[in-house]
Amino acid sequence: METTARKHPNYVAIWVYLAVLTAIEVGVAFISHFPKPVLMLILVGLAIWKALLVALYFMHLKFERWRLRTVFIVPLPLAVILVLAAITEKLW
Amino acid sequence: MTHAHASTADLMRPPFPAEPGAGVYSNKLGMWVFLASDVMFFTALIGTYIILRFSTDLPWAQPGAVLNVPLTAFNTFLLICSSVSMVKAYAAIADGDRERLKFWVLMTILGGATFVGIQVYEYVKLVGHGFTPNGYREGSELATLAAAEPLKYGLQTAGIYGSTFFTMTGFHGFHVTCGVVCMTWVYFKALRGGYSQQDYRGVEVIGLYWHFVDLVWIILFTIVYLI
Amino acid sequence: MTSVAAVHTHDAPMSFWRKYVFSTDHKIIGIQFLFVSLFFLLVGGLLAMQIRWQLGFPGQPMPGGGILPETMASEGILLPEYYVQLVSMHGTFMVFFAIMPLLVGVYANFLIPLKLGAHDMAFPRINMASFWTAFLAGLIMLASLFVPEGAIRSGWTNYVPLAARPDYSGVTWGQILWCISIVVLGLSSVLGSLNYITTVINHRAPGMTWFRMPLSVWALFITAILGVLALPVLQGAAIMLLFDQTLGTHFFDPLEGGQALLWQHLFWFFGHPEVYILILPAMGMVSDMIANGSRKPIFGYHSMVFAIIAIGFLGWIVWGHHMFMSGMNPTLGSSFMISTLVIAVPSAIKTFNWMGTMWRGNLRFHVPMLNAVAFVAMFVIGGLSGVFMAATPVDMFIHDTYFIVAHIHYVLFGGSLFALFGAITFWYPKMFGRMMNQRWGKIHFWLTFVFYNLTFFPMHNLGMAGHMRRIYDPTQYEFLRPLQPLNEFISISAFALFAVQLIFAANFLLSLWKGEKAPQNPWEDNGLEWSLPSPAPHGNWERVPTVYRGPYEFSAPGTPGGRDYLPQYERLPTDREPAAALAPALGD
Repeated sequence: METTARKHPNYVAIWVYLAVLTAIEVGVAFISHFPKPVLMLILVGLAIWKALLVALYFMHLKFERWRLRTVFIVPLPLAVILVLAAITEKLW
Repeated sequence: MTHAHASTADLMRPPFPAEPGAGVYSNKLGMWVFLASDVMFFTALIGTYIILRFSTDLPWAQPGAVLNVPLTAFNTFLLICSSVSMVKAYAAIADGDRERLKFWVLMTILGGATFVGIQVYEYVKLVGHGFTPNGYREGSELATLAAAEPLKYGLQTAGIYGSTFFTMTGFHGFHVTCGVVCMTWVYFKALRGGYSQQDYRGVEVIGLYWHFVDLVWIILFTIVYLI
Repeated sequence: MTSVAAVHTHDAPMSFWRKYVFSTDHKIIGIQFLFVSLFFLLVGGLLAMQIRWQLGFPGQPMPGGGILPETMASEGILLPEYYVQLVSMHGTFMVFFAIMPLLVGVYANFLIPLKLGAHDMAFPRINMASFWTAFLAGLIMLASLFVPEGAIRSGWTNYVPLAARPDYSGVTWGQILWCISIVVLGLSSVLGSLNYITTVINHRAPGMTWFRMPLSVWALFITAILGVLALPVLQGAAIMLLFDQTLGTHFFDPLEGGQALLWQHLFWFFGHPEVYILILPAMGMVSDMIANGSRKPIFGYHSMVFAIIAIGFLGWIVWGHHMFMSGMNPTLGSSFMISTLVIAVPSAIKTFNWMGTMWRGNLRFHVPMLNAVAFVAMFVIGGLSGVFMAATPVDMFIHDTYFIVAHIHYVLFGGSLFALFGAITFWYPKMFGRMMNQRWGKIHFWLTFVFYNLTFFPMHNLGMAGHMRRIYDPTQYEFLRPLQPLNEFISISAFALFAVQLIFAANFLLSLWKGEKAPQNPWEDNGLEWSLPSPAPHGNWERVPTVYRGPYEFSAPGTPGGRDYLPQYERLPTDREPAAALAPALGD
């Protein structure tokens, strides 16, 4: 390789992004007056957004092949199945 | 995978031959498999919290009533910072700069250790106020407050609130502690001249673990402290 | 061991401790697992004998029962509180410390690198850690029998609130040790499984494509995926149970807002994949042995692979069929019933494929083949009684009776354990360099087969008559008294079954020294492991072999030398070299 410096994503920008999202989360949770279900939806959405940023950029999943991404994706539906099934007890 | 991606993808991969199969070296694949299993571990703990909390019709403590949200928000920020410093360490050694690697790993260790320190401080405070794994301790400050305002403090659900809170955050803190220990090992290896642009597998693998722990905290912070 | 020295001149001589105790060689670790889990199999068997004595002859002093301390038996008569410990610990030992390590610990370790052409596991030191944590977990579990108040009394499934409250169950230390042991064992399984997965994906020999992998490796690979995802859930649940015991948390305490049903959900979300952890490797190894014994390619190789994958996937969405009687949401129960019945499809595909493999084959009934065929037969019986129980209305009638005991023993003993008797005999020469005695192997097989069926088949009848699963003294109920002769018959058969296993133990141990020296390929099989000397040396191959074909090329036309087998590593003039030599050389 000719150059020693390699192309990296702008990690500092991601950092600012995450910090701003965290501030928005705390703000939404304590200052806004959304009804509870809407508030929960917004907060969970923001959390997933942040988690995705970490996974895609810091853990480099954005730059990996699908066969490696699959390793991390496989347990997620199982987690959802477990929680959803157990929570339907409430409906009964 | 598209060709446009391939150039970036190749730049992101360490410059030693990938093994057949997954297309990545075994340490990294092994770490990803471990993280997948850790997802299931946290599923058991976080899933229990979600199931217990949303299966009950009784009121739950309002956000901020019991827990110190500003302090934890700062702690969250700290963990995000340590994640950035970790990825900077990775970028440094990928460029062959061991000095910057050492600096950023040290920053990450400090960030992680401070996070654990603040969490321990928070635990001590909470238990002092009367928030314990079995609910609000009788005769404590919190028990008095909760008796006055049972709705705000979720008096009837305090038992499972304490159980789930301490178990989830405790095991997350345990993961952070393990990460700090491993990173200290990485730091000393770097001090002795370990890692190079040709082989920085250890840095990348521990980095993956560290970011995963950060990711779990991002979820935990939202669903435990803010909702 | 001269051949080993000749092949591996660069290996520095190792001390006894490094070579046989703290070894990182996957074959030695497999053998360590073999000895330890056979020991726990014996422990579990001894516990079962005491259960059978109590059920067959309630209220009579057990022969040799006098050596038990006062807390377990009074004048040789087993106490009820000891009986429930026996039941719980028999299940715990057999599931977690006998069958699971025998299948996964022994054969995933031993076979995966050998059959794929790898020098060792991807992470040899993690592999060693996996064995020693499992050993530690076994010791902790064993110790729990001897602490004050004894071991757990709530069954191997540890249903709450009985298990979560010492004032209900009367057990504190036993319960705490159970939880700790399970957490440690879970760690061991995760470490082992991530090793197996990485090895299968990344360490295959050149030419070993996915669809040239032997079915045993496929099954062990899917099992490892199940293990790596299921065990952490059990760990989490066990940790919460431990905290309920010790820290006073309320996860499973309905009085304080917890849910008793939550434990069942978590336990069986782990527990059902665990059921497939206990049977899939057996199915895989049986496929290898049946193809070898039939001298025919396995029938429907690809459908076998997809059936394994389908079973592995379906295993995650059926756990509720253990809970039909728990009072869970009936809508959920119906969906679990349907998904459970669907599992019969891939299982039937596998069964018919085994029969198709044997059909018009040039059958060789050596000991592994006999055991493998018994596996298929017993698995059909166990599988069909499973279909009965999958149907909710039938399950309501037979739930928690001896019918379910019969079912689990038909799949775990008739299934997994017969496969293991075959597998131990089949790969014994590669492990120890000697053959097990064939004649005594056959005698052991036939006696086991007969007494096994005499023991467990009548349990179906007991269950249909309403005999409860964990009852201490069946004669206390009027309606069970007529069944007592049957209970006595089962007990006597069980004692005979246990005694017959001594033949196996003697054959296993004596063959270590007295067995006939094993040739390189005693079963005339095609796998890569048979290209190595017996026993296989440390590091396996100097240079890994190249793979030219699938693992089941028996009786292929055009095989040179008039043989009826064509090893995967043998290059014919018509074979092309694989595209790229991918595997790293030793020491990379």
